[in-house]
Amino acid sequence: MGNTLPVEQRSVPDRAASLTIRPVISMERRFARTISVSKEIDLELPFHGLPLGCVHEAQSPGLANGIAFASLLSVRIPDPSGQKVYVAPDASFHSLGLLPYRVPPEQWIHVVARNSLDLAWTVLEALRCSKVSVVLAPVKSADLALCRRWQLAAEGSGATGFLLTDTAPKPSIASVVTRWQITSIPAPFGATFGEPHWAIDLVYCRGGRPAQWTAAWREERLEHRPPSRPLQRTALATANRLAV
Amino acid sequence: MQRRFLCLFFSRLMVDRLERQDPLRAAAPFAVVWEDRGHLCIAAANGPAREAGVRPGTRLADARALLPTLHIVLDNPEADERLKQHLVEWCGRYSPLAARDGADGIVLDITGCAHLFGGEADLLDEIRAELRAMKFRVRGAIADTAAAAWALARYSKQAIVAQEELPAALDPLPVRALRIPAEIAVELGRGGLTTIGLMRRVPRDSLTARYGPTLLLRLDQAMGLAAESITPYRAPAPYRAALSFAEPIGTTTAVEQAILELLTTLCTRLEKERRGARRFDLVCHRVDGSAAYLQVRTSKSARSLTHLMRLFSEKMNTLDVGFGIEVATLRVAEVETIAPVQMALPQCGKSVEEDTSLDELLDRIGLRLGFDHVCRFRIRPSLLPESSTEFVPVTMASAPNAEWPTYRIRPVRLIEPPVLIEAAEIIPGKCPVRIRIGQRLHRIVRAEGPERLTPEWWRERPAAWTTRDYYRIEDEQGARFWIFRETRRAEPGERWYLHGQLP
Repeated sequence: MGNTLPVEQRSVPDRAASLTIRPVISMERRFARTISVSKEIDLELPFHGLPLGCVHEAQSPGLANGIAFASLLSVRIPDPSGQKVYVAPDASFHSLGLLPYRVPPEQWIHVVARNSLDLAWTVLEALRCSKVSVVLAPVKSADLALCRRWQLAAEGSGATGFLLTDTAPKPSIASVVTRWQITSIPAPFGATFGEPHWAIDLVYCRGGRPAQWTAAWREERLEHRPPSRPLQRTALATANRLAV
Repeated sequence: MQRRFLCLFFSRLMVDRLERQDPLRAAAPFAVVWEDRGHLCIAAANGPAREAGVRPGTRLADARALLPTLHIVLDNPEADERLKQHLVEWCGRYSPLAARDGADGIVLDITGCAHLFGGEADLLDEIRAELRAMKFRVRGAIADTAAAAWALARYSKQAIVAQEELPAALDPLPVRALRIPAEIAVELGRGGLTTIGLMRRVPRDSLTARYGPTLLLRLDQAMGLAAESITPYRAPAPYRAALSFAEPIGTTTAVEQAILELLTTLCTRLEKERRGARRFDLVCHRVDGSAAYLQVRTSKSARSLTHLMRLFSEKMNTLDVGFGIEVATLRVAEVETIAPVQMALPQCGKSVEEDTSLDELLDRIGLRLGFDHVCRFRIRPSLLPESSTEFVPVTMASAPNAEWPTYRIRPVRLIEPPVLIEAAEIIPGKCPVRIRIGQRLHRIVRAEGPERLTPEWWRERPAAWTTRDYYRIEDEQGARFWIFRETRRAEPGERWYLHGQLP
């Protein structure tokens, strides 16, 4: 966060300085509501947490990691009566798999939208509703205009959107606030299957820098640990493909 | 004009309903029973049962002792209510003012109606004939007052009594015919006043002093000296609004305006009656005689004008106007009462509009994609992955979730139908070491399981029995899957399938 000027200089009506300051201040105001991902990750994020009221992307080979990551973050949103909407072209989502993440199945609303136009429209309408706390949707591509409309809708109502994409056909989502890539890594000996181990990769963050972590989901927290074996990032991204 | 009332008395309504339902019942003795303070008592008995001595009000045990072959039928108050309602509506063809009279009667105000049917005698004969053709046992009487008609229908042989004959007709009837409480009738009997005639000869103030004011009120009502009104049954007006145009309309703005006007009429009426509706049907009659239809459904009862207008405008481009629309009608179905919502004070922040925003969102999505595609989850009490969760559309109420044992880990994504995979280096009874999914080879380093799931024995025939052993596997790259081994009872050997993806 190197481009914030000290307080006493902010009152100087310097054109160059005000051009630099205005977007930073407005971004701080826009992303004031955040949730904590984990202590180490929060330090790297410019907003000291994952901002709510905007649209993020979670890439994973096969959508399972992305769904799990987005769900465990959505549980932390401080809106107990908010609905979680899952929009998908098929009905492959199995909510029982999310019970270890303490996601209550009563709060899900599952919408099946078979073509991409209906899916985009449903995500937009759901993001506009103030009673919805989070929207999850697997999408393949979205151009800049669509991303902008989603972003405006989310800011207006306070809902958060997570676009889930598959790394195998290369996704092309034009603009989101943060882009994550979640890949599975081998777990150490003795770990159970209810505690997944991930390599969490912050590929892009608006106002911040990319970073990588490895963590395990254990006892409702993300515990960071060094990887059991040296990881090769590019190999991981292409190798863990579910070629079905 | 002298008022005339017609009273109908259905002496055996419960029995008639059951005999109409199943005519074979009339041959054998049967009785309708109901539960009274823990005992089953006879409520009504049919002809053969009555002849054998079964009386209403006695206990079933005693009746069975008298007649061991007695059939019993449990009483059904809702069905009786529906039948009485139906009969009152049916009587609407004889008089616009028909009302239910007690538990087993109908009273009609036939002032000025009798001449349409050829006189009072013909009217009474026609009603009795029609009801007898419908297999109801009915007795009727016509008199000046509703109370007198009630008494005559039940206790007298006379059917039609003119104004001047009324006191003479009522005199021989027992005092019970005045609809007084049973205790007063018993007391009157003890005092020797068994008929109405005897009672009328006693001075009025002594009757009031001894038996209270009700007795004289009933007597005056029967004689026509005190007023008694009936509340006639009125069918609820259908929720319908229509607009006809001087010139046929065809433009979008004109159609929108028409829909807005129709919706305003119906929504104000719904608001006044504190009701909402779930289905709105718009019928547009075109110039060439055909009609175009538009239907809007909502997941919850709605009457908000803005919300419905928005739903209609989203569907309006599917409306085919043809050469022009002459008449537009809007009908409303599935009307329900809505509980009133507490309005918030202005300084309290949240307004009432926000509380319905989720329902409106679900309505809009359901209207575009189909209400079957907007669902909630329900966990069913089943361990099989294809039936353990159920998609319940939001429009339907769902049963509560079953308990799920948390030690059973399930995948986040299910692959339906399961994909056949090739397995190599299988150790008998354990998970394979190498599998091939599609084109990729995976070497398995970690596996948990097996979790044996067999199909529900009451659904599958034993010949088609397949046993599945599920394993959670992790390959050397870290990807985690849910696979199973399927063995069939009929065929030897096993097959491996991929069923889901674990995070």
